[in-house]
Amino acid sequence: MEALLFNVDGGFLEGTVRGYKAGILTQSHYANLTQCESLEDFRTQLSATDYGNFLANEPLPISTATIADKATQILVDQFKYLRNNAVEPLSKFLDYITYAYMIDNVILLITGTLHERDTHELIERCHPLGVFESMPALCVASNVEELFQSVLVETPLAPYFRDCLSASDLDDLNIEIIRNTVYKAYLEDFYAYCGSLGGPTADVMQRILSFEADRRTVNITINSFNTELSKDERARLFPAIGRLFPEGNNQLAKADEIDQVRSVCENVGEYRQFFADAGSSSNGPNDEDSGILSQLEDRFFQTEVHLNKMAFLQQFQYGVFYAYMKLKEQEIRNITWIAECIAQSAKDRIQDFIPIF
Amino acid sequence: MSDDYPSLLRSEQMSLVQLFVPTEVAHDTVAELGELGNVQFKDLNPNVNPFQRSFVGEIRRVDEMGRRVRFFSTQIEQEKDVVPIRPLYDSAPLIAVGPRAPQAMDELDVTLAAHEQRLTQMNETYQKLSERTKELIEARHVLRETAVFFDKAQDHQTDIRTSFDDSSAPLLQHDDRENQYSLGTSVQFDLEFVAGTIERVRVPTFERVLWRVLRGNLYMNHTDIVEPFVDPVTGAETRKNVFIIFAHGDALLAKIRKVAESMGATLYPIDANADKRSESLREVEGRLEDLQNVLYNTGSSRRTELTKIGESLRSWQDVVRKEKLIYETLNLFNFDVRRKTLIAEGWVPTRDITTIQLALRHATEESGTSVPPILHELRTQKTPPTFNRTNKFTEGFQTIMDSYGVASYQEVNPGLFAVITFPFLFAVMFGDIGHGFIIFVAALYMILAERKLARVDLGEIMGQFFYGRYIILLMGLFSMYTGLMYNDIFSKSLHIWHSAWDFPSNTTDTKLVGIDNGHRYSFGLDPGWHGADNNLVFVNSYKMKMSVVLGVIHMTFALCLQFPNHLKFKRPIDIYANFIPQMIFLQSIFGYLVICILYKWSVDWSNATTQPPSLLNMLISMFLSPGKVDPSEQLYAGQPFVQVVLLLLAAICVPWLLITKPYLAWKDMHKIKEQGYVSISGEGDGNGIHRNSSDEVLEGEEEGNGRDIAEDGDDGEHEQHDFGEVVIHQVIHTIEFCLGCISHTASYLRLWALSLAHAQLSEVLWSMTLEAWLEPNGVFDWIVLIVMGVFWFVLTVFILCLMEGLSAFLHALRLHWVEANSKHFEGGGYAFTPLTFANPDSKE
Repeated sequence: MEALLFNVDGGFLEGTVRGYKAGILTQSHYANLTQCESLEDFRTQLSATDYGNFLANEPLPISTATIADKATQILVDQFKYLRNNAVEPLSKFLDYITYAYMIDNVILLITGTLHERDTHELIERCHPLGVFESMPALCVASNVEELFQSVLVETPLAPYFRDCLSASDLDDLNIEIIRNTVYKAYLEDFYAYCGSLGGPTADVMQRILSFEADRRTVNITINSFNTELSKDERARLFPAIGRLFPEGNNQLAKADEIDQVRSVCENVGEYRQFFADAGSSSNGPNDEDSGILSQLEDRFFQTEVHLNKMAFLQQFQYGVFYAYMKLKEQEIRNITWIAECIAQSAKDRIQDFIPIF
Repeated sequence: MSDDYPSLLRSEQMSLVQLFVPTEVAHDTVAELGELGNVQFKDLNPNVNPFQRSFVGEIRRVDEMGRRVRFFSTQIEQEKDVVPIRPLYDSAPLIAVGPRAPQAMDELDVTLAAHEQRLTQMNETYQKLSERTKELIEARHVLRETAVFFDKAQDHQTDIRTSFDDSSAPLLQHDDRENQYSLGTSVQFDLEFVAGTIERVRVPTFERVLWRVLRGNLYMNHTDIVEPFVDPVTGAETRKNVFIIFAHGDALLAKIRKVAESMGATLYPIDANADKRSESLREVEGRLEDLQNVLYNTGSSRRTELTKIGESLRSWQDVVRKEKLIYETLNLFNFDVRRKTLIAEGWVPTRDITTIQLALRHATEESGTSVPPILHELRTQKTPPTFNRTNKFTEGFQTIMDSYGVASYQEVNPGLFAVITFPFLFAVMFGDIGHGFIIFVAALYMILAERKLARVDLGEIMGQFFYGRYIILLMGLFSMYTGLMYNDIFSKSLHIWHSAWDFPSNTTDTKLVGIDNGHRYSFGLDPGWHGADNNLVFVNSYKMKMSVVLGVIHMTFALCLQFPNHLKFKRPIDIYANFIPQMIFLQSIFGYLVICILYKWSVDWSNATTQPPSLLNMLISMFLSPGKVDPSEQLYAGQPFVQVVLLLLAAICVPWLLITKPYLAWKDMHKIKEQGYVSISGEGDGNGIHRNSSDEVLEGEEEGNGRDIAEDGDDGEHEQHDFGEVVIHQVIHTIEFCLGCISHTASYLRLWALSLAHAQLSEVLWSMTLEAWLEPNGVFDWIVLIVMGVFWFVLTVFILCLMEGLSAFLHALRLHWVEANSKHFEGGGYAFTPLTFANPDSKE
């Protein structure tokens, strides 16, 4: 059915996004980039890719931050182009993508205000896709109730915040709880929305979002070891979707150490390799944990990239838009990482990026 | 093979040359060759990353200079008053070659950097000053608006008071006095307030957020500032509003301030006291005046700087562009072992080698060294690029053909014949003396004003017409000729000679029948046909047959062009396996048809014993019932026999075409196998060239540069033709040709259709607009005649000349690309793209 009607509204944009996707840097581009001696080389090399002359008008010397900013700007422009050309339900779908950035921005601002950072500096650091007009006013709020009543009530995020109004004071732990609660609500909502779209969009997106949910669950579990967070509260932060849900989530809620997390993850075929051969090389127990964690993080990213790449294998669905955004973000992280390594001449770690194609 | 004069028939003979350029003259050599514009350099280091090449440093420096120049031009563009930019042909040329070149470049670099620094500095001051001015202007607005607001509020208050007083005057005298006292000091506002400016788009959000934050405990008022604020750097306009918010309590005020600041509003301290307000207003205005003076001075000195930059901007742009091209070219070169000389390889037209050598010598002299670059011709098996030397006349025609496909190296170039066939086929469809004359005059104007127009940027559409001015000229000329043939001038006919038909004027019959008076109209269509009832029938049949005749001639001609190709590339097999059967096939069916058409025209059917036969039916029955011709429709005696023979000939040609070439290829393959050879590289006639190239290798090795030439020998293009490939190719080719012959002949009928449509349309236009008003009596009729005349002329130009012309152009294009080119054109070449500075498209 979607093969018949999808292209009426979505064909052009799907074509556009697939065209964008063809510009994602490949392995050989990365190979060239990692050989660069300086950031000027880096610029020359990038100008041979789809990034083109995006740095041509920057005066020397270039900073890593400029590269990241300009690259993000390209992504934002592309996204805005897609969003402006989209009609329902794709426009709604694209809006859902921005909600994640909005949540990040809200949390960033609250945290920043809590630590009494300069508001303008905070606003500059916000992701441009997650900017909403009443956002700056967030700095005024001192508790969640106020936050919600004064600013968030008119944003699309309002329903997600409704669940965490009980947390009264704003401190670091509470903000973290708020972030996770909101994100959980967002993921569940997005998941349900994709389900309501049906067809291949639901298949592709729910696969990606399930993984995202599981990743959050595992991360929350691991991060909450040895903190004040009670197991009850922890269980409440887990998204009620994903492949670990429900019995995996229940077990994770009770877990006390990494080994338990590992045994839960091993119940799911695809997640088994996350903990495979981890820690065999490290010595002390602390080293082992941090080693596992950083490795885990990398594997999460790899799996995410893999899932997003898979999204492009199917036509007539919206998953490509989400996947493109995620892949491009990963690419910007990679570029920034390589640029950073070049700038600080830390050549030995330059290979630690996650190749996409 | 090299002829004395360059011809368009075949592309230029090209040579692969090797240049040994001493490093110190490399730059100047490339500059000289770039000015000359006839060397296409090959990339000798395809495996090297762009940033690992030899001249990356220089490119980067030029890039940086380019960035500065771009910065200047954007600055100049953004300036509201137009800053004059001196055009390139007026500016003094910057010397970027010769012994002083590096110094000149250094100087330019320094100049650019200095200009940039000055400009950025000025921009900064300007920006800072404008920022301050903006703030002051905002402050002034806030002061004024709040003053208005306070005044109004006071009026309201007194209103309230007085009305209250009226109702209870006697009791409240004391109150009244107190009131008056307090009015005098005018400090009755116990509410505190915040005032400032905010962008207009944010006002609603701001209001909403404040309302929610303060839970409604505020009074907010805002007014628009009429004039927009212009950002000095980007030139973007922002519109702002003045707001004033009253609230009670320090906590609330602090919140308001915080929200306002985070929303990007600017707050100004305003006193509640009217006197202090007017005092600060005066102060602000004074400061504003000072600032504006300074701002004006800064602006004008910035403008002077920009004007100075504008004087030499174009020549800088030119130098930067050339330098970048030069270094990019130098990056394609290879260093020799001792890194003293650069080795370049490239294609040049063989004819130009002497010119290039002269240029090289000139470059050496210019740079003041004694070591000249050495040019050295290589022999190679690689296919050279196709280069057709054109002039301004042939350029357009060649472009038409090149946009279909670039001809293979030294293939017969259809662009040459298109010079005549293209305008002719166009004219067959466009035949009208008047319309032809209009476009002829238009093209003639463009040609006469060529020098002037070439300098101006004409825009995309006009530019294309200008580019094709010589095509249009010929099209107009040929249209006039065919118009004479069709005897059409703006749908009317000329009556030059005596017509062959007399129309009796004294009969009472409603139907006049022309009587042959024995004259023959000497050229073109007899005007007697004009306006006759059977005009259309006659013209239709005439034009239809004519287009078939023209089509078959055109196709036969195109087919013949195969022959010189086969001769040139020494493919005798193709002559008797492709060319001859194709020719026989075409001629036995359609050539025969043409002969029949001509024969039928030459017979006086009014005196013949038989009825004139329908040629279409004749052709159909030739296939359907071979050997049988109805005697009543017989064209000539012995027709059945001739037709059977022709049909058999055509039938034989199909298997001939299909089988011969694959069979010969198969036999060839077997012969090689039987002889026990294992093919190493090429086969057949490749051997001769091979021996040569191995000689070349030896020669090269003697010179100590064996590597480059050896490479050449290795990666030559040996296409190991698969037998299956040959079969499939030939099958496709046969089917395409045989079906193509039929459909292409039918396709030429578009000549008839379009010329008919053109004639009808111009006639309709004539009769709908002008015809009725041609005999004016009275002023009104004259006015209508003039209006209609203008109307008719405009429509003639736009619909008949432009629109119809365009469609005829496209159809002529198709006839050349599809119908003619498919008969002979291989089009497997790649275009010669020499290094040249003359290309303005690559300007940044």
